[in-house]
Amino acid sequence: MHEVRTELTASVWKIVVPVGASVRQGDEIAILESMKMEIPIEAPVSGVVTEFLVEEGAAVQEGDLLARISAD
Amino acid sequence: MAFTWESALEELRRRHEEARRLGGAERVERQHAQGRQTIRERIGQIADDFTEVGEFATFPIRDAAGTEVGTLPSSYVCGLGTVDGRQVAIGGEDFTVRAGAPQTYLDRWKGGMGGFVEDLAHEYRIPLILFMEGIGGDVSAQDEKGHSYLVSSMSWRRSFELMSQVPVLVAVLGSAAGGTAGRAVVSHFSVISKGSVLFAGGPPVVRRALGQTVDKHELGGAEMHTSVSGAMDNLAEDEADAIDQLRRVLSYLPQNVWELPARGDRSDPVDRSCDELLKIIPENRRRPYKMREVMRTIVDQDSLFEIGPGWGRAVITAFARIDGIPVGVIGNNPMHLAGALDGAAAEKQIRFVDLCSTFHLPIVYLVDVPGFMVGPEAERRGVVRMGMRAIQSIIEAEVPVVTVHVRKAYGMAVSATSNPDALGLRIAWPSVEWGDMPIEGGVEAGFRREIERADDPEVFRRQAEERLLALADPWKTVEAFGMEMMIDPRQTRKVVADFLNAGLHAMRSRVGPSDRRWSMRP
Repeated sequence: MHEVRTELTASVWKIVVPVGASVRQGDEIAILESMKMEIPIEAPVSGVVTEFLVEEGAAVQEGDLLARISAD
Repeated sequence: MAFTWESALEELRRRHEEARRLGGAERVERQHAQGRQTIRERIGQIADDFTEVGEFATFPIRDAAGTEVGTLPSSYVCGLGTVDGRQVAIGGEDFTVRAGAPQTYLDRWKGGMGGFVEDLAHEYRIPLILFMEGIGGDVSAQDEKGHSYLVSSMSWRRSFELMSQVPVLVAVLGSAAGGTAGRAVVSHFSVISKGSVLFAGGPPVVRRALGQTVDKHELGGAEMHTSVSGAMDNLAEDEADAIDQLRRVLSYLPQNVWELPARGDRSDPVDRSCDELLKIIPENRRRPYKMREVMRTIVDQDSLFEIGPGWGRAVITAFARIDGIPVGVIGNNPMHLAGALDGAAAEKQIRFVDLCSTFHLPIVYLVDVPGFMVGPEAERRGVVRMGMRAIQSIIEAEVPVVTVHVRKAYGMAVSATSNPDALGLRIAWPSVEWGDMPIEGGVEAGFRREIERADDPEVFRRQAEERLLALADPWKTVEAFGMEMMIDPRQTRKVVADFLNAGLHAMRSRVGPSDRRWSMRP
């Protein structure tokens, strides 16, 4: 199971794929907003998104867990 | 016994064997079991050739009654080596002998902190490569001297002097505490392998002083120092990776400040069109992009090597080559704090700019900066002072600075991206936007009273914003020669290379120690 964490303090602007979606490494799975910029969160591995631990609009701190991906 | 060549050479051979045993089979085995190499193995891995100095320095081992029961080699190995065909001074503590403690028992000091290996680098003006693994002070030294002593009796002058003379490249492999940790940071480039630690004082010292129990990796681990403190520049996967990184960094630097860095391979065509740039930079201005990809596109193929990727992440600093010329590339990172310059990023940039200036690497700055970082945390960490230091260091840099404007350029932080007192060459792409302040917040702040007094504050604000936005058209600045050039991004490599090639003439005429006069940083 791969953990997807944020490297910055931001708010969750959009969750791009639903739980259960198959993603390839580098696919955008969510978009954060920080300093008026839309920061894409990319899948670190190819696999299935099993869980999002945040909702749209939530505030996240550096190091927070955003999602889990079960690697192929 | 009469002298015979046979017995004399036999004695030499015997002592040579002895030196190779280091602290003994058991300690060497322990070193290997922990995944670490001995100092001789490390030197063997980086140097094609090594001529050792002080090989036969030893110290006596005594029993509790003080009777000599044997000898051990000194805890430092050093000499003259060849790395990728270049002569360098190399040295390192031998952790298998007294955990690499300094050698107060010798007539002459061998190691870093002012020892022979530093004299070798200084006198011959050759780079210094240090492998650091040691516990710093050792109470048994007091036993040998017969009295306690002050560390301040030892001079650090030579170590600091080398910083303005020859490249000093350091790898921390294992534990570095106290003086060893201190020596490690007095360097132009430092790399620390995963699992290694560096601290002023280890967990037992922390427990005694503060009553805190801390894990040594949490306290001063490689990951922490390369992502939080910035005390070490780069993290290495293992010892082999650390040694590769030392070799790589050396390739961009000259032997000393009296020489220019060697020009590399020029096989990547200088007029190569950088078409990918139009894909990398999104048309949507709210979308960031990977500045490292922008850098990679412009510089010679496979020539980019990042320094300090894990800390001060709002700015990216890297060595590279353009048309074979070694350069320092700096870029704001829109993925982190939108590229706003905070205290840590400023500190990282200052260190890199000083390094480029010392060893005559021109600077290419890729700008996308919304300003100094704002907010309570940034202010508490001294963003204003650090930001001003960053501006001072780039104005003082004694190398050409070619500035490429990619997107945003707002506020004071822009002054840390070019040098208006020298040529001040700034090249813009049509994707730019700039100004004293972003219009939105700027109207709020600049017209606060007018907005409050207006019959319809909202209408006033909108009209003011529209008027100022029209003036913010970057072409108007270019027409006023407030920006030196506007180019098609795809031609960037060629344009930058042209100016770097022209700059070599000035660089050759100015080669030598730094002439910087501003001895005080704000």
